[in-house]
Amino acid sequence: MIARLRADARLLPFLAAIVVVFGLFAAKSATLAQAGTYAAIYAIAAIGLSLLLGNVRQISIGQAGFFGIGAYAVAYCTAVAGWPFWPAAALGVALAAVVGLALGFVALRFTGHYLAMATLAFGLIAVGIFHEAQPLGGAVGISNVPYAQLGGLTLSGYPAYWFAWGVALLAALLTLNLLRGRTGRAFETIRNDELAAEMVGVQTRRYKIVAFAYAGALAGLAGAIYAAYLGIVVPDAVGVPLSIDFLLMVVLGGSGGVSGALIGAALIGFLDIAGHQFENWREVAYGVLVVGVVIGAPGGLVSLLRRAPKSPPRDARLSALAVSRDRRIEAPGDGPPLDVRGVTKRFGGLLALDDVSFVLERGRLTSLIGPNGAGKTTLFNAICGVGRLTGGVVWIGGRQATGWPSHRIAALGVGRTFQNARLFGEMTVLENVTAGTFRTERGSFAADLLGLPATRRAERAALERARATLAELGLEPIAHTYAKDLPFGDRRRVELARAVAAEPWLLLVDEPAAGLNGHERGTLHEDLLRLRDAGTTLLLIEHDMRLVMTLSDRVMVLKFGRMIADGTPAVVRSNPEVIAAYLGTGS
Amino acid sequence: MMQLIVAGLTVGSGYALVALGIHIILRATRIVNFAQGEFTVVGGLFALTFVQVLHVSTWFALIGASVCGFVLGLVFERLILRPAGRSGETGLTIATIGTVFILLYGHALIPGWGSLPQPLPAFTGDASDVFTLGGVTIGVQSLWVFALLLVALAAMYVFAERTYYGKAIRAAANNPLGARLIGIDVASTRAVSVGIAIALAAYGGTILGPITLVGGAAGVAISIKGFVGAIVGGLESPIGCVAGGLIVGVVEKLLEGRLSYGVADPIVYSLLLLALLFFPQGLFGRRAAVRD
Amino acid sequence: MSGDVLDERELPLLEVRDLRAGYGALEVLRGVELEVLPGELVAVLGPNGAGKTTLLRTISRTATTLRGGTIAFDGHDLARASTERTVRLGCLHVPEGRQLFTDLSVEDNLRLGAYSTDRRTIAADLASVYERFPRLADRHGQIAFSLSGGEQQMLAIGRALMAKPKLLMLDEPSTGLAPQIVEQIFTIVSELTRAGTAVLLVEQNAFLTLAHADRAYVMEGGAIALEGTAAELRADPRVQSIYLGGATD
Repeated sequence: MIARLRADARLLPFLAAIVVVFGLFAAKSATLAQAGTYAAIYAIAAIGLSLLLGNVRQISIGQAGFFGIGAYAVAYCTAVAGWPFWPAAALGVALAAVVGLALGFVALRFTGHYLAMATLAFGLIAVGIFHEAQPLGGAVGISNVPYAQLGGLTLSGYPAYWFAWGVALLAALLTLNLLRGRTGRAFETIRNDELAAEMVGVQTRRYKIVAFAYAGALAGLAGAIYAAYLGIVVPDAVGVPLSIDFLLMVVLGGSGGVSGALIGAALIGFLDIAGHQFENWREVAYGVLVVGVVIGAPGGLVSLLRRAPKSPPRDARLSALAVSRDRRIEAPGDGPPLDVRGVTKRFGGLLALDDVSFVLERGRLTSLIGPNGAGKTTLFNAICGVGRLTGGVVWIGGRQATGWPSHRIAALGVGRTFQNARLFGEMTVLENVTAGTFRTERGSFAADLLGLPATRRAERAALERARATLAELGLEPIAHTYAKDLPFGDRRRVELARAVAAEPWLLLVDEPAAGLNGHERGTLHEDLLRLRDAGTTLLLIEHDMRLVMTLSDRVMVLKFGRMIADGTPAVVRSNPEVIAAYLGTGS
Repeated sequence: MMQLIVAGLTVGSGYALVALGIHIILRATRIVNFAQGEFTVVGGLFALTFVQVLHVSTWFALIGASVCGFVLGLVFERLILRPAGRSGETGLTIATIGTVFILLYGHALIPGWGSLPQPLPAFTGDASDVFTLGGVTIGVQSLWVFALLLVALAAMYVFAERTYYGKAIRAAANNPLGARLIGIDVASTRAVSVGIAIALAAYGGTILGPITLVGGAAGVAISIKGFVGAIVGGLESPIGCVAGGLIVGVVEKLLEGRLSYGVADPIVYSLLLLALLFFPQGLFGRRAAVRD
Repeated sequence: MSGDVLDERELPLLEVRDLRAGYGALEVLRGVELEVLPGELVAVLGPNGAGKTTLLRTISRTATTLRGGTIAFDGHDLARASTERTVRLGCLHVPEGRQLFTDLSVEDNLRLGAYSTDRRTIAADLASVYERFPRLADRHGQIAFSLSGGEQQMLAIGRALMAKPKLLMLDEPSTGLAPQIVEQIFTIVSELTRAGTAVLLVEQNAFLTLAHADRAYVMEGGAIALEGTAAELRADPRVQSIYLGGATD
């Protein structure tokens, strides 16, 4: 499980205890019970936004729209159509989820402030529709919404407090399950580095859409309970101010995880009621707090509460698992692992790759060299599905892979490292390498949500694989260090470990020696040879000529996007065109 | 109908200035300032204070409010934008939303600023003076709004295109590294850019003061309409932003006249979403810069 | 006459001693030592990743973390200076990628180059830059974005010249340019040094650079591996082996 979330999960029982104690006090005071109930309702929506903002880094100022969908669904179905609460609420949640999927799909096109505005627009359109739709009561809304009934019990007043918090804590538990499993890890990789996430096989588009739908569904659930509690739904109550309130709760409490959402919702919920006379001062205080939190404590209040461990305690079992995997890696089929034909890539007026063709032999280490700007990384990007080719085809493992998204190519069995070591900074080394096994794991959203045994087994298997990889590369001592705290030499090796954790049969390595000292280069040399000897086909971009010449079975030279030489190291080194490419010619 | 267009252009002038301010801050800081509308309201209140406390004419109040806006902008950049910038784009965006809260609710706490919205004294004559042109009744104050809009745009143009320092600011926004390498202090040009943008907001809030009311909670709606204008016209293009703001004003008034009030707003926002989806670069933009 | 040896030895304009620097956790420069005398054309060569660009960035104080060593320019200590200060002292860095103001015209770019100097002479300085780069004069009203690669490089150099530099540091000016243009640029650079501006030139194209430079350093793995006059290095086979690994056959 992600280390950050461990602290979150530990806080949850405490918060639950506080909810219970408060509930007992609130038996005597209707005001307290009411404040507490609203806090629970907001908390449900806040949990969803916390996941969206904190775990997937998608900003949304439109959550009130989903809240409104849930609220109006219950209000209409129960007050106007006479349904009981439960099916009405289910409909509301389902509707909200579907709309969430749609918004998520739209949101794929935007980032940053554009995304904020797109979600704002959604929220405004939702309110506008609520305001105008006559069946929904127009500006007056729907009133006389009956209380929810559970068995013979009417869920109003004091019982409603327990009902709402029961749902909120259940939502928190389910969300934690989700975040602890494969889905949560996928979110975390997207949050840290989308490109690298794609390259370990995470379908980033799909997961972002799912996150929006989940957050929408939770907000819809909150709205459903709200409608049956308050008894009346008006458009003004589900407008932009509510969306901003949710954002406030999540920013103040802390996003990513569930405790922050609960804390933030409780805080805002109470301050809203308690500070009623001081409305202006209160809101100004919120504004100042938000700015202060962004500047000083970006993790929110919950980050101040957590004794956020920089490096969590070492897992004693780890060292006993220094198992070296003795296996042979085989590319599928009997064709070449990589067959590139006539690949051309144009960036506007610039021809970055010019009709590049080559075929890699199984189990060989080929180096790709060339002066700066020759197109080497562009070629890697072309093979791995980053950006579209202008022309040519790429065959990987016998499959025509031109135009495939990166995660699909990764799923075939291709691994890749990047020029600047794109690690998932806020995950530990072990978590990074576990993320590397993503494409080999099977899992589903539902299984993760419910915390089914199958999910736990899959998690353990992934963890074992990751640990074995760490052992092979001698990285166990730093297994629990956060990737962003790693010294440079270790970053590259962790990235390599992540790329090989899923045992790819084709591995593309981009400048692995950059920034390494002599000793580290020696280790790198050994690691690469070991991979090759196990059967991996390697394609290496490198500038360290000594490494290239001693390590490679074959060397290809790229200049201005064209292949100008291809052969053994000795042949290439003495090729006059290659010499000229590097040293230039005399005037 | 012409009547509505004139009214639309009048209120659109305000939106145009908001949109232009958003553009300037976007160029300088790479984010959208969600609080731009709030600063417009605060600007109008500055002017009101000048008029009521110092007993000057609205003309002087205009200059005073703009200067105050500039200073406020410098403070905003230094105290909020610069520190929050370390938290990334999301953090910065949230910080501007926090600023909305501070301004929206905080302005009412300042003595004299919390009372009901009131108009500024007219620039000339009486606020209700009108004249007729070709069958259309045009308020004299509306003419002043157009004229002052043009003055502001002309001043911006001259500054950006004809002064050395204006070009240095543009250069620093265009390529901060290149600017540093020839000795430009990029941090201070960024602060000045924000100052200018907020001064423009204050200016906009003041010129509409005689017609619409100064103060109140209109800031959020103004911000939103300003964004819509900026998106429709093209966030990256100053002319686009101004044109977009005017267009939004006209569309709003035309729709208000035809449909019940409630519908006009959702239509404007749907415009926003559609514009974002299909024309992220707007009418005047050059390239789509919506995704990183 | 006894000939005072000290008179013949000029004081270095730029003196770098035991420079250690990098990016955050990454150490790139591991004890670089070099110097540039006034009016010299000194080249810094070496393969990719050797630290050449990092060296220039460290001297101009942009984007690197300086861990140790000294940088003395014209008697001033640059190690704690800001980029703006290095420019005012007369040390100008023309970076890789040129970093022009793409939305502004050629003339605007040039005029802005004089930002940190006494701008009363701006008209005269502009005229002399146009004389040196007639292509820029022809295109003075054009937007920088629309210039060809070679013209952009000339504009970048011209902009730096407007700041009246004592030392001009050029980072791989030949990148992406056709050979004839590269020749032109090298010719102009040589003229500049003859006119008194020192030039520190980072390049990958070793042979051409050695044909024009006075002295050169060859970097490898973050330190100076070879140094000498251009003539000495032209004849040294070790240069080629540093670039291509191992002895030549």
